[in-house]
Amino acid sequence: MTAAVLALQDVSKSFGMTQALSGMSLSLLPGEVHAVVGENGAGKSTMIKIMTGVHQPTSGTILIDGQVVAIPGTKAARDLGVAAIYQEPMVFPDLDVAENIFISATDLGLLQRRGQLREKAHALIDRIGMRLDVDRIAAGLTLAEQQAVEIARALSQDVRVLIMDEPTASLSAHEAGELRRVARTLAAQGVAVVYISHRLEEIFEVADRVTVIRDGQHISTRPVGEVTPDSLIADMVGREVGNFYAKAPSQTRDEVLLSVRDLAVEEVFSGVSFDLHRGEVLCMAGLIGARRTDVALALFGIRPPTGGEVVYKGQPYRPRDAAQAIAAGIAYVSEDRRKLGLAMPMPIRANVTLATLGKVLSPLGLVRLGQERAVAESHRKRLNIRTPHVELAVAMLSGGNQQKVMLAKWLEMKPDLLIFDEPTRGIDVGAKAEVHDLIRDFVAAGGAALVISSDLPEVLALGDRILVMREGRQMGILPHEEASQEAVMRLATGQMQGAA
Amino acid sequence: MIRRLQSWEGFLFLVLIVIIAGNSWLSPNFLTVGNQINLFQLSIEKIIVALVMTFVIINAEIDLSVGSMMGLSACAFGWMFQQGVDPRLAIGICLLIGVAGGALNGWFIAKVGLPSLVVTLATLIGFRGLARVLVEDRGVSGFPDWFNALGQRGLIGPVPFALVAFVVLFVVLYVVLQHSGFGRKTYVIGTNREVADYAGIDTARHKLVIFIMSGAISAFAGLLFAARVGAVRGDVAQGFELDIITMVLLGGVSIFGGSGTLLGTLLAILIVLSLRNGMALMNITGHIQTGVVGLLLIASVLVPRIRWGMKARAAA
Repeated sequence: MTAAVLALQDVSKSFGMTQALSGMSLSLLPGEVHAVVGENGAGKSTMIKIMTGVHQPTSGTILIDGQVVAIPGTKAARDLGVAAIYQEPMVFPDLDVAENIFISATDLGLLQRRGQLREKAHALIDRIGMRLDVDRIAAGLTLAEQQAVEIARALSQDVRVLIMDEPTASLSAHEAGELRRVARTLAAQGVAVVYISHRLEEIFEVADRVTVIRDGQHISTRPVGEVTPDSLIADMVGREVGNFYAKAPSQTRDEVLLSVRDLAVEEVFSGVSFDLHRGEVLCMAGLIGARRTDVALALFGIRPPTGGEVVYKGQPYRPRDAAQAIAAGIAYVSEDRRKLGLAMPMPIRANVTLATLGKVLSPLGLVRLGQERAVAESHRKRLNIRTPHVELAVAMLSGGNQQKVMLAKWLEMKPDLLIFDEPTRGIDVGAKAEVHDLIRDFVAAGGAALVISSDLPEVLALGDRILVMREGRQMGILPHEEASQEAVMRLATGQMQGAA
Repeated sequence: MIRRLQSWEGFLFLVLIVIIAGNSWLSPNFLTVGNQINLFQLSIEKIIVALVMTFVIINAEIDLSVGSMMGLSACAFGWMFQQGVDPRLAIGICLLIGVAGGALNGWFIAKVGLPSLVVTLATLIGFRGLARVLVEDRGVSGFPDWFNALGQRGLIGPVPFALVAFVVLFVVLYVVLQHSGFGRKTYVIGTNREVADYAGIDTARHKLVIFIMSGAISAFAGLLFAARVGAVRGDVAQGFELDIITMVLLGGVSIFGGSGTLLGTLLAILIVLSLRNGMALMNITGHIQTGVVGLLLIASVLVPRIRWGMKARAAA
């Protein structure tokens, strides 16, 4: 057996009262892709930060090539050959690819020749097996290409351990595949790759071994051939999650809540037509660039439609801004919590009442704090938001709990139509199941849900019908009985036109 | 209580106590009613505008035109007085000028979407130009006694009208910012305007209202200046915007918006005024006083960082 290039032995880390890691052990072999999975808050980020020198362990040792080392900072980590890339790559949009790769290089002479720089950049891009013009300006790169730049940047400094932290979370299926190939290519060159992902299916494609951590502890490390998705989920949540992706029976009622005909926003999408009944979950599937979010924003009044007819609750409906949509009982749960969904530094309490502030105001326009707190508390209990109290800033919560706060904000307004955009992206398995239950409860109570999701198993588990879009056009609507991953993908990739 | 003291406002409070103690020790006159009123009087117009500037900055905007609006309002009053307009009517018109000027700023910023730094820099120049056209450098004086008395004589005992107005405004604006729905929206929009948009908040209208408030209060402060000095010139209140913004930032309001409190601004006002007054009692010249205030501003940005650093180290 080859010796580990980097090993953690019995590493613990606490922040004040919180024990983030306890007795964590992990060894990384050169040439392997080592997947690490665990629920949000399991301690993955803390572990990465210890390996990259951002945090110092409270106890335990770090070995590199069998030697005990200290990694006091990120610079020290790089010198030891440990580098990390993240979900959101950091590139400088105005510089070109070559300049971005060598942005932090210190060994370049002041007058390093442009030609040499390009050559070196070219060699690095070649090494990760991607085709990318080193003269391109970074602003025009796709997310996957930006990540390639980050990887090349890491490689320019002789990396031996490359940590990829949810690199594919925001990528389309095609791009994600490309990035997984990069991970394999690097491993073949002897780099130890740590691959962190919430997409279990891709782990089977990319990893040699997989480690599960839970509650800051090491649960298991096994060759990928010896695990199944179910066994991984069981390890992650500490119990068997029976038929997680089973479809619940439809609760569709006769009453049509929303009827859309030939909806269009000029130069963005056109020809979207569907009926949505009370009690129904309609899923919108499609690849990146299918323009599903734009349909949602048109219905929510953020970017008003330029064509088509919408009838909502039996009345013509044409919102000009979000306030009108909200007044009509339509809520939009955004896919981007940070940018569009939550005021991160503000308390949970204030975020929950954000869209319904009027309900907790006194006649003089003052916020009734007690009432507001009670509203937030009731949602905390109902949605099982894990927090010591509702005065905590939302930024302090885990992704899944942030998602629940955002949901609480919209449930508080008691909508008739809920539009969910990627309701479970980047949240852990347990929270995912809770969100799915919430959606089902919501429609069971007479609401209707429009769910945009790129997670095919989720689409199949939730959708009573599945509307598939591709590049701004509706490709078809599949009833649940006719839907399968293959059928949806055929429409989404344009290999087949379905019945509208 | 202890948590209170660990906040920025708590820190400012301690600094204020130290300055007041130092001043009282240096001069027995410091804590007299007369000196305290005098201390407020010399900067009363600025500190009134600082209250509404707190709203502007928490909303993640800036209003550089407040000094020029004070000047424009004062000069418009002087000019109308010269033309024989009834001073009471002139006061009303000046306040309307403030509303209009604020609406002009707000329209470009909130509805057109231009950056407030640029829009209010332009109106800083524009309002000042207008003020200078109305009243050239000769100056206008000889206002009626009742008008001058507003700025110079006591209204409640020895407390002049302007100070009463400041206290009333502080109480009203404090309740609005810290306890009302309007205040909540001010924070949310300053934290993340898009989140507010997606929650159905009319962010453009909110910003417009705040700039109108800023214009109107600045015009009001300009009139107070005219009353206190008893004369106006084209350069009235020139450069005041920087002192005003300094006080707000010193009070812990983030220049990026979304955080800070009106209490912080009040404490910063008291600190700056007491410090200047104390230095004046020690015969330290105005220029050095200004330098000290500048150092204080840098410290105000630095100290929270150092405290964060210590906290992070303690946690590690």
